[in-house]
This record gives sequence, structure tokens and C-alpha cells, in this order.
Amino acid sequence: MTVAASQLPAQALAIEERTGDVLAVRFTAMASPCEVLLPATDRATAWELGTLVAREAWRVETKYSRYRDDSVVSWIHRSRATELEVDEETASLIDFAGQCHELSDGLFDITSGVLRRAWKFDGSNRVPERAEVERLLPLVGFDKLSWQAPRLVLPAGMELDFGGIGKEYSVDRAYDLLATSRSAPFLINFGGDLRANRPPPHGPWQVGVERPDTDRHAALVLELEHGALTTSGDSRRFLLKDGVRYGHILDPRTGWPVPDAPRSVTVAASSCTEAGLLSTLALLQGARAEAFLEEQGARYWLLR
Amino acid sequence: MQLKPVAKGVRRQLIAASCALLGATAARSQEANTASADGGPGDWMVDFALAYYKENSGRITALEPVVNVHKDYGDGKATSFNLTYDSLSGSSPNGAVPSAAPQTFASPSGTSLSAAPQTYTTSSGQVEVVNAPIYSIAPGALPMDPNYHDQRLALGGSWQLPLSRLTRATLGGDLSYEHDFFSTSLNAGIAHDFNQKNTTLAFGVNGEFDSVKPIGGTPVPGSDYALFEKTGGTSKNGAGALLGITQVLTRHWLAEFNLSVDRFTGYLNDPYKIVSVVDSSGNTTGYLYEKRPDARTRKSAYLENRLAWNRASLGLSARYMTDDWGVHSDTAQLHLRWWDPEHDRYLEPTVRWYRQTAADFYTRWLSSSASQIVTAASADERLGAFHALTYGLKYGADLDDGSELSIRLEYYQQSPDNRIPGPGALQGLNLYPGLKAVLLQVGWRFGL
Repeated sequence: MTVAASQLPAQALAIEERTGDVLAVRFTAMASPCEVLLPATDRATAWELGTLVAREAWRVETKYSRYRDDSVVSWIHRSRATELEVDEETASLIDFAGQCHELSDGLFDITSGVLRRAWKFDGSNRVPERAEVERLLPLVGFDKLSWQAPRLVLPAGMELDFGGIGKEYSVDRAYDLLATSRSAPFLINFGGDLRANRPPPHGPWQVGVERPDTDRHAALVLELEHGALTTSGDSRRFLLKDGVRYGHILDPRTGWPVPDAPRSVTVAASSCTEAGLLSTLALLQGARAEAFLEEQGARYWLLR
Repeated sequence: MQLKPVAKGVRRQLIAASCALLGATAARSQEANTASADGGPGDWMVDFALAYYKENSGRITALEPVVNVHKDYGDGKATSFNLTYDSLSGSSPNGAVPSAAPQTFASPSGTSLSAAPQTYTTSSGQVEVVNAPIYSIAPGALPMDPNYHDQRLALGGSWQLPLSRLTRATLGGDLSYEHDFFSTSLNAGIAHDFNQKNTTLAFGVNGEFDSVKPIGGTPVPGSDYALFEKTGGTSKNGAGALLGITQVLTRHWLAEFNLSVDRFTGYLNDPYKIVSVVDSSGNTTGYLYEKRPDARTRKSAYLENRLAWNRASLGLSARYMTDDWGVHSDTAQLHLRWWDPEHDRYLEPTVRWYRQTAADFYTRWLSSSASQIVTAASADERLGAFHALTYGLKYGADLDDGSELSIRLEYYQQSPDNRIPGPGALQGLNLYPGLKAVLLQVGWRFGL
């Protein structure tokens, strides 16, 4: 955290006044716009709390980024099938990913990132050859890891990707940090994954959920008093070939896109981690997304 | 492929898993937040401390700044360096007993009891010209050299590197320089974890090479102080080994047990210490330079228990040491630490008890009537029988910028045991003055 503080560029945080006497502290982390909303707060306090949240977001990003050589993930990838001992936080995340893998019957898999070598969802028609995908499948599967916390052996060629849980996890982490020092209302929003402790003085938080295919136009406005809200799905990422649309949600067991996946799923739950997993699992259910969410008794909004 | 629907209980399990993840990391995140001064892998951590040490009755006063930099590379590799500077001044007991008559001595740099500059030739043919400050001791007072000045500069480094997932090696070296002493030491160790990392076995060896070059030459051990029989520089060397086991007993309890042995050979005397020769009436008739055996082998056993809870920890340790000079010592230490996580501060009280027996050749004075040749004799209070108590209190707090500031205060009291009353005129004089000292240390720890 000392590192994050010293590397903090002065312009990395911005304070903005919003309607209803709300101060928004904005910054960028995990390639997403992030903000902390603080009603009826002075600027100095907002700056202090915003810094706390931003540092936590940057800490998680630095630690789990696939794109940084000094991240834990890069260190794991360099291990080349030798046994590693990971730190406690990483062990907790791998444990969590393992539980999600198990309870989703293999649909949720943090080793599925290697499929990106075959699939580039750039709106083109470059659908990979079946053989190309087949070749990658031996590198996918959480059960291929040797994992006995804190010892990990990542078979050569395999990769771990915490992208599916990292953002939600860091919202919850930042939430806990803020909640210990503040009982007044706040809302943390990292690129659409958000969590609030209590509503502002004049009614609930108004949360706009972007319609994925029309930029910047809120498709629906949700009211949130407290708890977490996450949205999964990005319909701008797809391939189109011979009239067939290939969405970017890949089934790690087949290596192919899940057919009939919703364009976006928004789920409300008590924590971002829980909501995020529910929305991700719903997408992976494809045509059964609604049925799945109903079965789980989740509050959700779904766009097809 | 037909996707198998996910079971109904997913959400409940997911909630449990989320709670486990967030709950497990909440405590650590708090820790990371409050212990930010400990830095992460890749940071250089700097510890700067300034200590002020003062002994009672105008004895030694020392000022000691220390800088330690440490870098943990995160994959089992770590490096640290330290630089220490000591500046000591004050009065130091020369070993002689008080006397009913005034006594006159020359400071260590002196070669005879004369105030004029002296010239003498060392055994290597080197000619040295030195001033000999004279100091006089009033009747009944403890003879102390008031001109004690020393400066020490020490540099150390250590490297740790993993040999395998469970085995790591350490290498270290130290250099210490004083105007009359130069020491080089090297150490190497290996530690191996097993039993799911609950047990660690460690083995280490070290070697030390010292060159001793007292100002004004090296006194011939056991020779007459007035004859200034001196030779040139000399040396002492040592080697040691340590075998240790650390065992995690429960989540809150860790125990460590070490056995160590070391042996030093060469010139083991303190060149500035003398022994009074006293006749049966208690009058001082002369002085001899102290003479210690030229080899010393020490063996010690150490047991430490550390208990830790959320806001408090306790350390209880005991050490037994024995050597072939006849010195046996026991140390017991109790160390507590309270931590206030809301304000990132802690308080550490410490109590240490120490007792040692005297070396076989320790004597407060030599008797002029004894006709035997002195094979070994020293009146150095550090080789006498004594017990000591140390009380310490340390307070540390995290500052807003993530650095940690600490203040340590210690009080040390050493009381000589086996006080033998002197003959005749020495009766009623305090031959065993003991020692009291205070230490104040301010530390600052920060990351780069």
C-alpha cells in the first residue's frame, strides 16, 4: 500500500459535485471508471475516503493483473509447473474459485482464460477452427491444478485469471475498509459493480443500468437502498459468421460460446462477490438463465 | 453438448463461499492497512534508530545511530544491510581495587606513569610516540579511567535465498572497526521446513577473525603494569555452530529450541584491564595486566515460547550458557505486547532476569603473599558473579504516512554476588560497585 500511495499521481483522483448534495470521487482501476459517492460530505473527507477506496482497488489490480510482470498472477504463470506457496489472500481467492467451480459443475473456471488465444471477440467473423479450440482444452480445467492451500502447482501452459471475480472482490474489500470508518451513506461503484451501505437522506440510490448495445443510454433505472448490484455481459463482444452470433461467454468444458446467453444480467445480492457470481453463472446457463435465477430466488434484471 | 443445469442450492453455497472469502480476507486487509509500514514484496524497508545509553556514576555514555535496510523480494529471497555507529565516552573501571592511599594510573595510551610523551619500540620494530595522560584516584574511590573514548563503525549484510520450496539458505557477513580493534565475521545457515511447514530445522555456522591493536601496544598478559611490557598487534579467532528447531504447536503457540557452541582462541584479554596486588594489610603494592586463558569454549541452550492472540502476544524465553572458564549463566525473559488496532499502536513491556557465576580465574585482587605464579587472573566485573534485572517499555504507533515511530526505555541494574571483604585497609571500601544504566531508543521505520 505504501507503493500505491507513492505512485499515486495527483490527478488520479477527481472530485465532482453531483445533484442532491453528493460528492463523487472518481478514478480509474481495472480498466474501468470507478467512483465513490458520498452525500453531504466535505471535500477533505471525500478525498480521504476516496483515496482509501482507490488504493484498495489499485492494490487488488496490481496484485492480480495479468498484464503486470510484478503481479502474483504473472509470478504464478512463470512457475512452469513447479510447486508454489501463495499468500493467504490469493489462497482464499483460489479456494473461492474452486468452490464456484464445484458448485457450478465446472461452468465457472478461472483457468478458462487460455481460450482467449483462439477466440478474439472483435466483432469480426474469425470463428476459430474446431481443432484449434480442441488443442487448448487440455489447458482448461480447475481440477487439473494441484491445489492444497497454500500450495499450488499450475501445469505448464495453464493460466489463472481472476478477472471474473477480482473487480467484485475489490468492491467488497473497499466496502469493508470504508464501513469501518464511516457509518454515513456511501456507494462504491467499480465499472458497474456497486455496493452501498445505506440510502442517502432523500430516498434510495438511483442506479442506471446501461443497455449494452446502446452506449451511455440507461436502459433501466434501479433503486437501491443498500447491498450490492452487479452486471455481467457485454454484447459488444461477439463474432458473427454465417448469420450465427457467437457471444463472448465461453463454456470452459467445450471451449465454445454458450448458446443463447443473455446480453446482460444484473443481479442484486448482499455482496458484490455473491451478486457477481450469480450474474456470471446465469450467463453461463444460456437459455436457462432466467430459470436459474428464479431457482436461486435472486432479484435480477435480464436483457436478451 | 447438453448443459447440465446447476443445482438449486447454489446460492446458499455461494453465500457461504463469499462469506468465507470476504471474512477470511477482512482481517488481513485490516492488518495490511494498519501494518502498512511493513511494506510488501519489493519494497525497501528502512529502520532508523537512535539510542542513548548512560551508566551511573559518570561511567560510560553512548550514542548509537543504526540504519537497517531490508528488502523482501517475495519469493523467498531477501536482503538486508545495516550500518551502526557507536560513540562511547566516560569512565571505565580499570580493574584495580580502591585503596586507602591515592592511586595514579596512566590511560591505556600511556606506557608508563609519566606525563611526558613516551617513545617505545614494538616487537615488529615500529616506533610509536604516545602521550600518556595520567589520572589520579582519590583514597577509597573506585579506580576508573576517565579518558575512555571509543568509536565503532560496523557494517553488516545478509542474504537469504530459497534452495527449494522447503529449504532456504542464508549468508551473512559483518565488519566492525574501532581504532584498536577490527573484526570480520561470516555466517552461513540452512533452514528446512517439514511437517506441513509446522516444523523448521535450522543449522548455521559462523567464523570470526579479529585483530586487536591496543593503543600503545598489547600488554603481555600477567606482566607488571609498571614495566609496560608490550608487544604489537595480536589477534583472536572464533568459530561456532547452531542447531535449532522451531515448532508450531497450535494456531497461537510457537516454540523454538536452539543449541549452540562456539570457541574462541588467541588474545582474549581486555588490554586495558589490570588486577591490584594487595598485601595482607590491604595496601596495594602493584598491579598486573590481566591474564585470561587463550581459549574459551561456550555452549548454550535456548528455549522460547511465543503465544499470540488478536490483540496481545507473549514471549517467554530461557537461556542456559556454560563455558570452560567456569562461567555459567541463566537468563529468563518475559515479553508482552498489546496492540490497539483502532489506533495502530502497541505497548511492549519486558522484564529480563540474568545471573552468572564467576570465571574460575576471576579475582577482585591478587594477594602479594601468594608465591605461586599467576596462571590466569582477571578483575573484570563482566567475569565476576552477578545478577541483573532489566525492565523495558516500548511504545510504537503508526503515523499517517504509513511509517512507524517507536520509543523504547530500558533500565538495567547489575548487582555483584559473592562479595568478599578485603583484608585490612580494604575493609569498609566498596569493592563491588555494581552498575545501573538507562537506555532510550527512538526508532523510525518506513518504506521506500
